[in-house]
Amino acid sequence: MTDTIANRAAKATPQKVARKIKGLSDRAIAWIFVAPTIFLLLAINIFPLIWTIQLSFTNYKANRLNREPEFIGLRNYERILTDSDIWLNMQATAHFLFWTIALQVLIGFTLAWLINKKFKGNDLWTTIIVLPMMLSPAVVGNFWKFLYQPQIGLFNYIVAFFTGKDPSSFEMLGSVQLAPWSIVIVDTWMWTPFVMLICLAGLRSIPDYIYEAAEVDRASKLRQFFTITIPMVLPFLMLAVLFRGIENFKMFDLVVQLTGGGPGSTTELTSINLKREAFEKWRTGYASAYAIILFVTVFGLASIYVKALNKVKER
Amino acid sequence: MRTFLTGLMRLRRGPWEMLATIIIALGVFMLMQPFVLWAFTYSFITTLVGTVMFIIVSHFPEDE
Amino acid sequence: MSAYSVTEPSTRSKWFAGSLVILYALITMIPLAWIMLTGFKSPSDAISYPPKVVFEPTLEGYVNLFTTRTRQTKEFLEANPPQNWADEIVREYDMVIVGPSKFGERFLNSVIIGFGSTFLSIFLGTLAAYAFSRFKIPLADDLLFFILSTRMMPPIAVAIPIFLMYRNLGLSDTHLGMILLYTAVNISLAVWLLKGFIDEIPREYEEAALIDGYTRFQAFYKVVLPQAATGIASTAIFCLIFAWNEYAFAVLLTSATAQTAPPFIPTIIGVGGLDWPAVAAGATIFLLPVMIFTILLRKHLLRGITFGAVRK
Repeated sequence: MTDTIANRAAKATPQKVARKIKGLSDRAIAWIFVAPTIFLLLAINIFPLIWTIQLSFTNYKANRLNREPEFIGLRNYERILTDSDIWLNMQATAHFLFWTIALQVLIGFTLAWLINKKFKGNDLWTTIIVLPMMLSPAVVGNFWKFLYQPQIGLFNYIVAFFTGKDPSSFEMLGSVQLAPWSIVIVDTWMWTPFVMLICLAGLRSIPDYIYEAAEVDRASKLRQFFTITIPMVLPFLMLAVLFRGIENFKMFDLVVQLTGGGPGSTTELTSINLKREAFEKWRTGYASAYAIILFVTVFGLASIYVKALNKVKER
Repeated sequence: MRTFLTGLMRLRRGPWEMLATIIIALGVFMLMQPFVLWAFTYSFITTLVGTVMFIIVSHFPEDE
Repeated sequence: MSAYSVTEPSTRSKWFAGSLVILYALITMIPLAWIMLTGFKSPSDAISYPPKVVFEPTLEGYVNLFTTRTRQTKEFLEANPPQNWADEIVREYDMVIVGPSKFGERFLNSVIIGFGSTFLSIFLGTLAAYAFSRFKIPLADDLLFFILSTRMMPPIAVAIPIFLMYRNLGLSDTHLGMILLYTAVNISLAVWLLKGFIDEIPREYEEAALIDGYTRFQAFYKVVLPQAATGIASTAIFCLIFAWNEYAFAVLLTSATAQTAPPFIPTIIGVGGLDWPAVAAGATIFLLPVMIFTILLRKHLLRGITFGAVRK
């Protein structure tokens, strides 16, 4: 990407104009404008990150102030990466990731496709559908806990109404089998609109003439769907999937409010597990190594995400 | 496939980024797969290699 | 679009699509509607089986949310008649209002920290976005990626060193600490979104101003800023919503003075367990502003959630 916007800007400013500028030079202004942002990020993101890396090689415990931390090399990493309990937490996270993404893509794409039929009032209904995703996940988790109550909750009542089961015969949050699904349901309820919006943008970016040309070639509607619609929406869908993947990999607030990681550790996603190690057991060094592992994973996914972002931008 | 390989040899950004992306994806998969513990153990180093590689190769020249 | 356009769906498929979407919208609204209704129920109505859709509305939940109460003896209650309507509601349970609850305080904290961090991130973000949009900055793409990646970090992972840092600096549980932290998280969004908005403003306007003898600064705040006003406003709302909703940092780094509403709402306890109508009332008051903002933002929503990548 050699032709950055900055380059184009430099080219676009003719010499004559450049000479006329009074006061500070452009270069000085550029630095004055960017520096505070960079400084803040260095202080609140990068410095802590470097500190975390350093702590991850020690056995520091933040609740014991007078004890000097010892350097223990890679032992924290070794311990985490051979711990089958943490591996199980990763699998719980994988279950959550896989099903939320699958359901959200399926429902989100279908909705977008339906909305793209441009029926009367589609704007209004789109706005209504979008509402859940902007809400506070912690508060959402909290009130879904109320809906999931076995005897009195609305969710159980509705399920019981349609299946004829006794509403107090199952506990969404209390049972080992159902709890992993209860968090999938809430996350899907909350974030399907996100996937829908992005798919809708993808669908709307397909120019009409492509379909018209296909119609001239007598391609069936089904064939058009698989050879035009799906491939054209795919970059957008990738973007949505990656973003939801990153967000759900670090999921904390919603699930902590819903299940708190329980029952047992069936819904203990990695972030919740990390919080326990860092702020309940106070194994700061160990938790720092854990944090670095999560961070590198997210950073890797984020670089793919930015690549996908640029791909969509070019459209 | 041919252009991919020549791209790799000529140190072009596109194919190398693709390779780094695959390594990162593999690392993430290894981290969360439910099959073998040793894959989980080596997932972190895989993702780390992929990520560092991605940062480096994204400075390679674009094709053309 | 002509009447014979092949891309225009038939009336029947429109009708079909419309009814499915409306059905989904109605189902998706049930939880929200339910929580708002619960806020107006009495505690016994809230936990009745089968769930009550028709009930006698009461403001008990809201009164319990905003006040602290104690139980009193019959003699005391007879000697002191209720002062106002809120007191009257509480009297039914042989209680009196003794003071305000912490909800008001926590809500105010949310407002202060939300607006403070939004103002800061918009201020810094606009400057940086302008520089990235208009000037040649070495390694601009790397810097932009670095800025974006800071937002992707898992909050719990960042919270460990920030917790230690804030403890050493005396910033834990302070408004300033939370404002700085949320600014750092929001600034990436602000820079990316605002850069997109500023990129869309034609350069010719500024160049004309520069020829007219404006300095760069003057051109920036007299020409570019007014043009970018809509973009700045919608970016601000996005930052505000984020700071408003944030939970992980708030629950780990604040406990009293600077605690915001999200960690507080789930802890509202009534007599004999969780007081669901009060919790629902708190959730309603807390979520309503966000819903209104979302409706206002609907045109820019897509842009905001994709860091400006998708424009439409």
